[in-house]
Amino acid sequence: MADLVVVVNARTGVAVMTRNEIVNIFFGRYRQFFNGIEAQPVDLVDANPDRARFYSALVGKDLSDVNAYWSRQVFSGRMQAPPRVNTVDEVLRWVSTHPGGIGFVDLSKADARVRVVYEFNP
Amino acid sequence: MAALVFAWPLGGRADEVPAFSLQGFGTLGLARTTSQEARFVRDLTQPTGAGRQWDGRIDSVLGLQANWQFSSSLEFVAQAVSRFRYDQTYTPELSWAFFRYDPNPQLSLRAGRLGTEFFMMADSRMVGYSYLPVRPPGDFFWYLPFLGIDGADVAMIFPVGEDVLRGKLYYGVSDANIPLADRQWKIDGSKMAGGYVDYQSGPWLFRVSYANILFSNDMPIDDILGRTLPPGMAAQARSFLAAANTRSHYYSIGVIYDRGPWQVQLMLNDINQGSQIFQSSKGGYALVGYRVSAYTPYFGYSRIFSDSRGNTLNPVVARIMADSHVDQYTTILGVRWDVARNIALKAQWDGIHGQPDSIFPYRLETDAFKGKLDVFSVTMDFVF
Repeated sequence: MADLVVVVNARTGVAVMTRNEIVNIFFGRYRQFFNGIEAQPVDLVDANPDRARFYSALVGKDLSDVNAYWSRQVFSGRMQAPPRVNTVDEVLRWVSTHPGGIGFVDLSKADARVRVVYEFNP
Repeated sequence: MAALVFAWPLGGRADEVPAFSLQGFGTLGLARTTSQEARFVRDLTQPTGAGRQWDGRIDSVLGLQANWQFSSSLEFVAQAVSRFRYDQTYTPELSWAFFRYDPNPQLSLRAGRLGTEFFMMADSRMVGYSYLPVRPPGDFFWYLPFLGIDGADVAMIFPVGEDVLRGKLYYGVSDANIPLADRQWKIDGSKMAGGYVDYQSGPWLFRVSYANILFSNDMPIDDILGRTLPPGMAAQARSFLAAANTRSHYYSIGVIYDRGPWQVQLMLNDINQGSQIFQSSKGGYALVGYRVSAYTPYFGYSRIFSDSRGNTLNPVVARIMADSHVDQYTTILGVRWDVARNIALKAQWDGIHGQPDSIFPYRLETDAFKGKLDVFSVTMDFVF
Protein backbone atom coordinates (compact mmCIF):
# COMPACT_ATOMS: atom_id res chain seq x y z
CA MET A 1 0.00 0.00 0.00
CA ALA A 2 1.45 3.31 -1.01
CA ASP A 3 1.99 6.16 1.42
CA LEU A 4 -0.57 8.86 2.11
CA VAL A 5 0.59 12.43 1.77
CA VAL A 6 -0.96 15.80 2.54
CA VAL A 7 -1.12 18.12 -0.44
CA VAL A 8 -1.91 21.82 -0.79
CA ASN A 9 -2.66 24.08 -3.70
CA ALA A 10 0.71 24.75 -5.35
CA ARG A 11 0.09 28.51 -5.20
CA THR A 12 -0.38 28.74 -1.41
CA GLY A 13 3.33 29.28 -0.87
CA VAL A 14 3.35 26.55 1.76
CA ALA A 15 6.27 24.12 1.35
CA VAL A 16 6.16 21.97 4.44
CA MET A 17 3.85 21.46 7.40
CA THR A 18 3.97 19.75 10.77
CA ARG A 19 1.57 17.11 11.98
CA ASN A 20 0.05 19.48 14.56
CA GLU A 21 -0.61 22.13 11.92
CA ILE A 22 -2.43 19.54 9.83
CA VAL A 23 -4.44 18.37 12.85
CA ASN A 24 -5.39 21.99 13.58
CA ILE A 25 -6.71 22.48 10.05
CA PHE A 26 -8.56 19.17 9.62
CA PHE A 27 -10.18 19.38 13.05
CA GLY A 28 -11.13 23.02 12.57
CA ARG A 29 -9.06 24.28 15.49
CA TYR A 30 -7.30 26.85 13.37
CA ARG A 31 -7.78 27.09 9.62
CA GLN A 32 -5.03 29.36 8.46
CA PHE A 33 -1.61 28.75 6.93
CA PHE A 34 1.48 30.37 8.43
CA ASN A 35 1.36 33.08 5.74
CA GLY A 36 -2.19 34.14 6.55
CA ILE A 37 -3.98 32.34 3.70
CA GLU A 38 -7.19 30.68 4.89
CA ALA A 39 -6.98 26.90 4.71
CA GLN A 40 -9.80 25.14 2.84
CA PRO A 41 -9.59 21.45 3.78
CA VAL A 42 -11.38 18.73 1.85
CA ASP A 43 -12.16 15.31 3.30
CA LEU A 44 -13.24 11.96 1.86
CA VAL A 45 -16.43 10.02 2.50
CA ASP A 46 -16.32 7.15 5.00
CA ALA A 47 -16.72 4.66 2.17
CA ASN A 48 -13.32 5.60 0.77
CA PRO A 49 -10.73 3.53 2.70
CA ASP A 50 -8.18 6.36 2.52
CA ARG A 51 -10.24 8.31 5.05
CA ALA A 52 -9.75 5.69 7.78
CA ARG A 53 -6.05 5.42 6.87
CA PHE A 54 -5.61 9.17 7.09
CA TYR A 55 -7.13 9.66 10.54
CA SER A 56 -5.46 6.56 11.87
CA ALA A 57 -2.07 7.87 10.72
CA LEU A 58 -2.76 11.47 11.79
CA VAL A 59 -4.21 11.02 15.30
CA GLY A 60 -4.60 7.28 15.81
CA LYS A 61 -8.38 7.68 15.80
CA ASP A 62 -11.12 5.47 14.50
CA LEU A 63 -13.59 7.12 12.12
CA SER A 64 -16.41 6.87 14.66
CA ASP A 65 -14.31 8.97 17.06
CA VAL A 66 -13.75 11.52 14.30
CA ASN A 67 -17.47 11.55 13.44
CA ALA A 68 -18.37 11.91 17.14
CA TYR A 69 -16.03 14.89 17.35
CA TRP A 70 -17.76 16.53 14.40
CA SER A 71 -21.22 15.88 15.76
CA ARG A 72 -20.23 17.90 18.84
CA GLN A 73 -18.95 20.77 16.70
CA VAL A 74 -21.94 20.78 14.34
CA PHE A 75 -24.70 20.45 16.95
CA SER A 76 -23.18 23.06 19.22
CA GLY A 77 -23.29 25.43 16.26
CA ARG A 78 -19.56 25.97 16.29
CA MET A 79 -18.61 24.91 12.79
CA GLN A 80 -19.20 22.52 9.94
CA ALA A 81 -16.85 19.71 9.06
CA PRO A 82 -14.79 20.00 5.87
CA PRO A 83 -16.79 19.09 2.75
CA ARG A 84 -16.40 15.46 1.70
CA VAL A 85 -15.82 14.11 -1.77
CA ASN A 86 -15.87 10.56 -3.08
CA THR A 87 -12.60 10.08 -4.88
CA VAL A 88 -8.94 11.04 -4.96
CA ASP A 89 -9.51 12.78 -8.31
CA GLU A 90 -12.09 15.02 -6.68
CA VAL A 91 -9.67 15.79 -3.85
CA LEU A 92 -7.05 16.89 -6.36
CA ARG A 93 -9.58 18.99 -8.24
CA TRP A 94 -10.72 20.65 -5.01
CA VAL A 95 -7.19 21.40 -3.83
CA SER A 96 -6.12 22.81 -7.16
CA THR A 97 -9.22 25.01 -7.60
CA HIS A 98 -9.28 26.52 -4.09
CA PRO A 99 -6.60 29.06 -3.19
CA GLY A 100 -6.19 27.52 0.29
CA GLY A 101 -7.02 23.95 -0.74
CA ILE A 102 -5.57 21.13 1.35
CA GLY A 103 -6.31 17.42 1.19
CA PHE A 104 -4.76 13.98 1.44
CA VAL A 105 -4.01 11.51 -1.37
CA ASP A 106 -1.73 8.63 -2.18
CA LEU A 107 1.79 9.81 -2.99
CA SER A 108 1.55 8.21 -6.42
CA LYS A 109 -1.53 10.35 -7.25
CA ALA A 110 -0.02 13.71 -6.35
CA ASP A 111 0.55 15.66 -9.58
CA ALA A 112 1.92 19.04 -10.63
CA ARG A 113 -1.26 20.90 -9.60
CA VAL A 114 -0.54 20.28 -5.92
CA ARG A 115 2.41 20.34 -3.58
CA VAL A 116 3.22 17.63 -1.07
CA VAL A 117 3.70 19.24 2.35
CA TYR A 118 3.64 16.22 4.66
CA GLU A 119 4.37 12.52 4.32
CA PHE A 120 3.28 9.89 6.80
CA ASN A 121 6.06 7.48 7.56
CA PRO A 122 4.89 3.97 6.76
CA MET B 1 -20.57 17.10 7.56
CA ALA B 2 -21.72 15.77 4.24
CA ALA B 3 -21.98 12.25 5.62
CA LEU B 4 -24.38 13.40 8.29
CA VAL B 5 -26.45 12.56 5.33
CA PHE B 6 -29.00 15.11 4.14
CA ALA B 7 -27.32 17.87 2.22
CA TRP B 8 -28.81 19.73 -0.67
CA PRO B 9 -26.24 22.02 -2.12
CA LEU B 10 -28.33 24.43 -4.15
CA GLY B 11 -25.49 25.34 -6.47
CA GLY B 12 -24.41 21.87 -7.50
CA ARG B 13 -20.99 21.51 -5.95
CA ALA B 14 -20.55 20.87 -2.26
CA ASP B 15 -18.65 24.06 -1.62
CA GLU B 16 -20.94 26.46 -3.41
CA VAL B 17 -23.16 28.83 -1.52
CA PRO B 18 -25.90 29.44 -0.68
CA ALA B 19 -26.38 25.92 0.66
CA PHE B 20 -28.96 24.36 2.90
CA SER B 21 -28.45 21.26 5.00
CA LEU B 22 -30.58 19.33 7.46
CA GLN B 23 -28.97 17.15 10.10
CA GLY B 24 -30.14 15.46 13.24
CA PHE B 25 -29.23 13.57 16.37
CA GLY B 26 -31.04 11.43 18.85
CA THR B 27 -30.95 8.99 21.70
CA LEU B 28 -33.25 6.15 22.63
CA GLY B 29 -32.51 5.37 26.23
CA LEU B 30 -33.75 3.26 29.10
CA ALA B 31 -32.70 3.66 32.71
CA ARG B 32 -33.69 2.16 36.03
CA THR B 33 -32.45 2.44 39.59
CA THR B 34 -32.42 0.32 42.71
CA SER B 35 -34.37 2.85 44.77
CA GLN B 36 -38.03 3.70 44.85
CA GLU B 37 -37.35 6.38 47.49
CA ALA B 38 -36.25 9.01 44.94
CA ARG B 39 -36.51 9.58 41.22
CA PHE B 40 -33.26 9.81 39.28
CA VAL B 41 -33.15 12.59 36.68
CA ARG B 42 -30.63 13.51 34.04
CA ASP B 43 -30.67 17.14 35.11
CA LEU B 44 -32.86 19.52 37.06
CA THR B 45 -34.94 20.48 34.04
CA GLN B 46 -36.80 17.19 34.48
CA PRO B 47 -39.72 17.06 36.93
CA THR B 48 -39.56 13.32 37.56
CA GLY B 49 -37.37 10.45 36.57
CA ALA B 50 -36.41 6.82 36.81
CA GLY B 51 -37.23 4.49 39.68
CA ARG B 52 -37.13 0.71 39.85
CA GLN B 53 -38.89 0.29 36.51
CA TRP B 54 -37.13 0.82 33.20
CA ASP B 55 -37.87 4.37 32.19
CA GLY B 56 -37.43 5.77 28.70
CA ARG B 57 -37.97 9.40 29.57
CA ILE B 58 -34.77 10.75 31.05
CA ASP B 59 -32.26 10.07 28.27
CA SER B 60 -34.37 9.91 25.11
CA VAL B 61 -34.08 12.93 22.87
CA LEU B 62 -34.49 13.91 19.24
CA GLY B 63 -32.89 16.95 17.66
CA LEU B 64 -33.09 18.43 14.18
CA GLN B 65 -30.81 21.13 12.87
CA ALA B 66 -30.96 23.23 9.73
CA ASN B 67 -28.04 25.25 8.43
CA TRP B 68 -28.33 27.93 5.80
CA GLN B 69 -24.96 28.94 4.47
CA PHE B 70 -25.27 32.32 2.75
CA SER B 71 -21.59 32.78 2.07
CA SER B 72 -18.37 31.29 3.31
CA SER B 73 -18.52 33.62 6.32
CA LEU B 74 -22.27 33.98 7.04
CA GLU B 75 -24.56 31.23 8.24
CA PHE B 76 -27.94 30.81 9.94
CA VAL B 77 -28.45 27.79 12.20
CA ALA B 78 -31.69 26.60 13.81
CA GLN B 79 -32.05 23.56 16.02
CA ALA B 80 -35.18 22.13 17.63
CA VAL B 81 -35.07 19.50 20.35
CA SER B 82 -37.78 17.29 21.78
CA ARG B 83 -37.09 15.79 25.20
CA PHE B 84 -38.84 15.12 28.49
CA ARG B 85 -39.00 18.59 29.96
CA TYR B 86 -40.16 20.63 32.93
CA ASP B 87 -43.89 20.32 32.21
CA GLN B 88 -43.77 16.52 31.66
CA THR B 89 -44.27 16.87 27.92
CA TYR B 90 -42.01 16.37 24.91
CA THR B 91 -42.96 19.72 23.40
CA PRO B 92 -40.19 20.62 20.94
CA GLU B 93 -38.15 23.63 21.87
CA LEU B 94 -36.01 25.91 19.79
CA SER B 95 -32.62 25.25 21.33
CA TRP B 96 -30.55 27.21 18.84
CA ALA B 97 -31.45 29.91 16.29
CA PHE B 98 -28.64 32.24 15.45
CA PHE B 99 -26.65 33.99 12.77
CA ARG B 100 -22.95 33.28 12.68
CA TYR B 101 -20.52 35.62 11.04
CA ASP B 102 -16.86 34.62 10.74
CA PRO B 103 -15.08 37.58 9.14
CA ASN B 104 -11.77 35.71 9.27
CA PRO B 105 -10.41 32.41 10.63
CA GLN B 106 -9.58 34.08 13.94
CA LEU B 107 -12.95 35.61 14.78
CA SER B 108 -16.45 34.18 15.11
CA LEU B 109 -19.52 36.23 16.06
CA ARG B 110 -22.92 34.74 16.83
CA ALA B 111 -26.21 36.35 17.79
CA GLY B 112 -29.64 34.88 18.50
CA ARG B 113 -30.62 31.92 20.64
CA LEU B 114 -27.47 30.17 21.75
CA GLY B 115 -26.53 27.21 23.91
CA THR B 116 -24.29 28.14 26.80
CA GLU B 117 -21.04 26.53 27.72
CA PHE B 118 -21.35 27.11 31.45
CA PHE B 119 -18.93 24.21 31.76
CA MET B 120 -16.84 22.54 29.09
CA MET B 121 -19.08 20.59 26.68
CA ALA B 122 -22.25 21.83 28.38
CA ASP B 123 -23.49 23.10 25.01
CA SER B 124 -23.57 19.60 23.50
CA ARG B 125 -25.03 17.75 26.49
CA MET B 126 -27.96 16.40 24.50
CA VAL B 127 -25.89 14.95 21.66
CA GLY B 128 -25.17 11.51 23.11
CA TYR B 129 -23.34 10.36 20.02
CA SER B 130 -20.69 13.04 20.60
CA TYR B 131 -19.43 11.71 23.95
CA LEU B 132 -18.36 8.51 25.61
CA PRO B 133 -20.72 7.88 28.56
CA VAL B 134 -24.50 7.53 28.48
CA ARG B 135 -24.88 11.07 29.83
CA PRO B 136 -22.49 13.78 30.98
CA PRO B 137 -21.36 12.85 34.51
CA GLY B 138 -24.27 13.84 36.71
CA ASP B 139 -22.45 15.14 39.75
CA PHE B 140 -20.91 17.74 37.48
CA PHE B 141 -23.78 18.59 35.14
CA TRP B 142 -27.17 17.71 36.59
CA TYR B 143 -27.85 20.99 38.27
CA LEU B 144 -27.06 23.11 35.26
CA PRO B 145 -30.58 23.70 34.03
CA PHE B 146 -29.42 26.64 31.95
CA LEU B 147 -29.53 25.38 28.42
CA GLY B 148 -29.40 28.59 26.52
CA ILE B 149 -29.64 32.32 26.19
CA ASP B 150 -31.04 34.86 23.82
CA GLY B 151 -27.94 36.90 23.29
CA ALA B 152 -24.59 36.97 21.58
CA ASP B 153 -21.14 35.51 21.82
CA VAL B 154 -17.75 36.20 20.35
CA ALA B 155 -14.93 33.68 19.95
CA MET B 156 -11.33 34.54 19.12
CA ILE B 157 -8.49 32.27 18.11
CA PHE B 158 -4.80 33.03 18.50
CA PRO B 159 -2.14 30.66 17.19
CA VAL B 160 0.80 30.14 19.55
CA GLY B 161 3.36 28.32 17.45
CA GLU B 162 1.61 25.04 16.70
CA ASP B 163 -0.69 25.45 19.69
CA VAL B 164 -3.99 27.27 19.67
CA LEU B 165 -5.35 29.70 22.23
CA ARG B 166 -9.11 30.24 22.03
CA GLY B 167 -11.27 32.58 24.03
CA LYS B 168 -15.00 33.14 24.15
CA LEU B 169 -17.33 35.64 25.80
CA TYR B 170 -21.12 35.50 25.89
CA TYR B 171 -24.00 37.48 27.29
CA GLY B 172 -27.71 36.95 27.14
CA VAL B 173 -31.04 36.42 28.79
CA SER B 174 -32.48 33.06 29.77
CA ASP B 175 -35.84 31.76 28.65
CA ALA B 176 -36.39 28.75 30.88
CA ASN B 177 -38.47 27.08 33.55
CA ILE B 178 -37.14 24.81 36.25
CA PRO B 179 -39.56 22.31 37.72
CA LEU B 180 -39.92 22.13 41.50
CA ALA B 181 -42.21 19.39 42.72
CA ASP B 182 -45.64 20.43 41.49
CA ARG B 183 -44.63 23.94 40.41
CA GLN B 184 -42.16 25.70 38.18
CA TRP B 185 -39.52 28.28 38.85
CA LYS B 186 -39.37 30.74 36.01
CA ILE B 187 -35.85 31.87 35.34
CA ASP B 188 -36.73 33.59 32.09
CA GLY B 189 -35.38 37.11 32.07
CA SER B 190 -32.37 36.07 34.15
CA LYS B 191 -29.19 37.57 32.74
CA MET B 192 -26.26 35.29 32.08
CA ALA B 193 -22.70 36.22 31.21
CA GLY B 194 -19.54 34.20 30.97
CA GLY B 195 -16.46 33.25 29.10
CA TYR B 196 -13.62 30.83 28.88
CA VAL B 197 -10.07 30.40 27.68
CA ASP B 198 -8.95 27.18 25.96
CA TYR B 199 -5.40 26.15 25.29
CA GLN B 200 -5.00 23.32 22.79
CA SER B 201 -1.60 21.70 22.49
CA GLY B 202 -1.58 18.60 20.32
CA PRO B 203 -3.77 16.04 22.10
CA TRP B 204 -4.15 18.20 25.22
CA LEU B 205 -6.92 20.72 25.83
CA PHE B 206 -6.94 22.92 28.92
CA ARG B 207 -9.80 25.20 29.87
CA VAL B 208 -10.58 27.80 32.51
CA SER B 209 -14.13 29.13 32.53
CA TYR B 210 -16.35 31.49 34.44
CA ALA B 211 -20.04 32.29 34.20
CA ASN B 212 -22.68 33.98 36.28
CA ILE B 213 -26.42 34.30 36.31
CA LEU B 214 -28.47 37.10 37.84
CA PHE B 215 -31.79 35.50 38.76
CA SER B 216 -34.89 37.42 37.81
CA ASN B 217 -37.45 35.69 40.02
CA ASP B 218 -37.83 34.23 43.49
CA MET B 219 -38.45 30.54 43.90
CA PRO B 220 -42.20 29.77 44.00
CA ILE B 221 -42.40 29.25 47.76
CA ASP B 222 -44.78 32.02 48.76
CA ASP B 223 -47.75 29.73 49.26
CA ILE B 224 -45.74 27.28 51.39
CA LEU B 225 -44.52 30.09 53.58
CA GLY B 226 -47.96 31.66 53.75
CA ARG B 227 -49.57 28.36 54.71
CA THR B 228 -47.07 27.37 57.37
CA LEU B 229 -45.95 30.61 58.96
CA PRO B 230 -47.70 33.61 60.50
CA PRO B 231 -47.70 36.61 58.13
CA GLY B 232 -44.85 38.50 59.78
CA MET B 233 -42.54 35.50 59.83
CA ALA B 234 -43.55 34.53 56.30
CA ALA B 235 -42.50 37.93 55.03
CA GLN B 236 -39.20 37.63 56.91
CA ALA B 237 -38.58 34.14 55.51
CA ARG B 238 -39.45 35.31 52.03
CA SER B 239 -36.85 38.03 52.09
CA PHE B 240 -34.28 35.72 53.74
CA LEU B 241 -34.75 33.17 50.95
CA ALA B 242 -35.05 35.64 48.09
CA ALA B 243 -33.39 34.55 44.86
CA ALA B 244 -34.46 37.49 42.70
CA ASN B 245 -31.63 39.91 42.03
CA THR B 246 -29.02 37.57 43.46
CA ARG B 247 -26.10 36.45 41.37
CA SER B 248 -24.58 32.96 41.30
CA HIS B 249 -21.05 32.37 40.08
CA TYR B 250 -19.72 29.29 38.29
CA TYR B 251 -16.00 28.59 38.04
CA SER B 252 -14.48 25.56 36.38
CA ILE B 253 -11.24 24.13 35.09
CA GLY B 254 -10.85 21.13 32.83
CA VAL B 255 -8.25 19.05 31.05
CA ILE B 256 -8.88 16.68 28.16
CA TYR B 257 -6.41 14.27 26.59
CA ASP B 258 -7.60 12.75 23.32
CA ARG B 259 -5.23 10.80 21.09
CA GLY B 260 -5.13 7.31 19.69
CA PRO B 261 -7.30 4.91 21.72
CA TRP B 262 -7.26 7.11 24.84
CA GLN B 263 -9.87 9.62 25.98
CA VAL B 264 -9.26 11.19 29.37
CA GLN B 265 -11.21 14.04 31.00
CA LEU B 266 -10.75 15.76 34.32
CA MET B 267 -12.96 18.67 35.37
CA LEU B 268 -13.53 20.59 38.58
CA ASN B 269 -16.10 23.24 39.40
CA ASP B 270 -16.89 25.65 42.19
CA ILE B 271 -20.34 27.18 42.39
CA ASN B 272 -20.95 30.16 44.56
CA GLN B 273 -24.64 30.87 45.13
CA GLY B 274 -25.79 34.38 45.80
CA SER B 275 -28.95 33.50 47.71
CA GLN B 276 -29.65 31.66 50.96
CA ILE B 277 -32.06 29.28 49.27
CA PHE B 278 -29.28 27.46 47.41
CA GLN B 279 -26.14 25.96 48.86
CA SER B 280 -22.81 26.66 47.25
CA SER B 281 -21.04 23.53 46.04
CA LYS B 282 -17.86 22.02 44.68
CA GLY B 283 -17.79 19.16 42.23
CA GLY B 284 -15.59 17.29 39.84
CA TYR B 285 -15.16 14.20 37.74
CA ALA B 286 -12.57 12.07 36.04
CA LEU B 287 -13.36 9.86 33.07
CA VAL B 288 -11.03 7.47 31.24
CA GLY B 289 -11.85 5.49 28.10
CA TYR B 290 -9.75 3.20 25.96
CA ARG B 291 -10.86 2.02 22.53
CA VAL B 292 -10.44 -1.63 21.52
CA SER B 293 -11.67 -1.98 17.92
CA ALA B 294 -15.36 -0.94 17.98
CA TYR B 295 -15.64 -1.05 21.77
CA THR B 296 -14.63 1.69 24.18
CA PRO B 297 -14.91 0.67 27.82
CA TYR B 298 -14.79 3.60 30.23
CA PHE B 299 -14.47 4.24 33.91
CA GLY B 300 -15.35 7.37 35.82
CA TYR B 301 -15.59 8.87 39.24
CA SER B 302 -17.49 12.01 40.21
CA ARG B 303 -18.01 13.87 43.44
CA ILE B 304 -20.10 16.80 44.62
CA PHE B 305 -20.75 18.36 47.99
CA SER B 306 -22.43 21.54 49.14
CA ASP B 307 -21.89 23.75 52.16
CA SER B 308 -24.70 24.04 54.63
CA ARG B 309 -24.94 27.60 55.78
CA GLY B 310 -27.18 30.42 56.91
CA ASN B 311 -28.30 28.93 60.21
CA THR B 312 -31.93 29.40 60.93
CA LEU B 313 -34.13 28.49 63.85
CA ASN B 314 -37.23 28.48 61.70
CA PRO B 315 -37.98 24.83 60.79
CA VAL B 316 -39.88 25.72 57.61
CA VAL B 317 -36.99 27.81 56.33
CA ALA B 318 -34.52 25.12 57.41
CA ARG B 319 -36.48 22.52 55.48
CA ILE B 320 -36.53 24.64 52.31
CA MET B 321 -32.81 25.30 52.62
CA ALA B 322 -32.06 21.61 53.16
CA ASP B 323 -33.67 20.91 49.79
CA SER B 324 -30.56 22.13 47.99
CA HIS B 325 -28.11 20.01 49.97
CA VAL B 326 -25.93 17.47 48.21
CA ASP B 327 -23.03 15.29 49.35
CA GLN B 328 -22.30 12.25 47.23
CA TYR B 329 -19.88 10.47 44.94
CA THR B 330 -20.55 8.26 41.94
CA THR B 331 -18.60 5.44 40.36
CA ILE B 332 -19.28 5.01 36.64
CA LEU B 333 -18.52 1.93 34.56
CA GLY B 334 -19.68 1.43 31.00
CA VAL B 335 -18.94 0.57 27.43
CA ARG B 336 -19.64 2.32 24.15
CA TRP B 337 -20.00 0.11 21.10
CA ASP B 338 -19.79 1.82 17.73
CA VAL B 339 -21.99 -0.76 16.14
CA ALA B 340 -22.46 0.90 12.76
CA ARG B 341 -21.63 4.15 11.08
CA ASN B 342 -23.19 7.01 13.09
CA ILE B 343 -24.80 4.65 15.62
CA ALA B 344 -23.46 3.86 19.09
CA LEU B 345 -24.86 1.52 21.71
CA LYS B 346 -23.95 2.14 25.35
CA ALA B 347 -24.48 0.31 28.60
CA GLN B 348 -23.57 1.92 31.90
CA TRP B 349 -23.69 1.42 35.65
CA ASP B 350 -23.64 4.36 38.05
CA GLY B 351 -23.06 3.53 41.70
CA ILE B 352 -24.17 6.56 43.71
CA HIS B 353 -23.03 6.83 47.32
CA GLY B 354 -24.64 9.77 49.03
CA GLN B 355 -25.57 10.90 52.49
CA PRO B 356 -29.27 10.53 53.34
CA ASP B 357 -29.59 14.33 53.23
CA SER B 358 -28.10 14.50 49.72
CA ILE B 359 -31.43 15.18 48.01
CA PHE B 360 -30.87 18.11 45.65
CA PRO B 361 -30.21 15.95 42.54
CA TYR B 362 -33.39 13.90 42.89
CA ARG B 363 -37.13 14.25 42.46
CA LEU B 364 -39.91 13.00 44.70
CA GLU B 365 -37.57 11.74 47.41
CA THR B 366 -39.17 10.34 50.56
CA ASP B 367 -37.96 10.47 54.15
CA ALA B 368 -36.81 6.87 53.78
CA PHE B 369 -34.23 7.86 51.13
CA LYS B 370 -30.78 6.58 52.11
CA GLY B 371 -28.70 8.46 49.55
CA LYS B 372 -27.39 5.28 47.94
CA LEU B 373 -28.59 3.81 44.68
CA ASP B 374 -27.42 2.11 41.53
CA VAL B 375 -28.48 3.33 38.12
CA PHE B 376 -28.46 1.03 35.08
CA SER B 377 -28.73 2.59 31.64
CA VAL B 378 -28.74 1.43 28.04
CA THR B 379 -28.89 3.81 25.11
CA MET B 380 -28.71 3.93 21.37
CA ASP B 381 -27.25 7.20 20.12
CA PHE B 382 -27.34 8.25 16.49
CA VAL B 383 -26.71 11.13 14.17
CA PHE B 384 -28.11 11.57 10.70
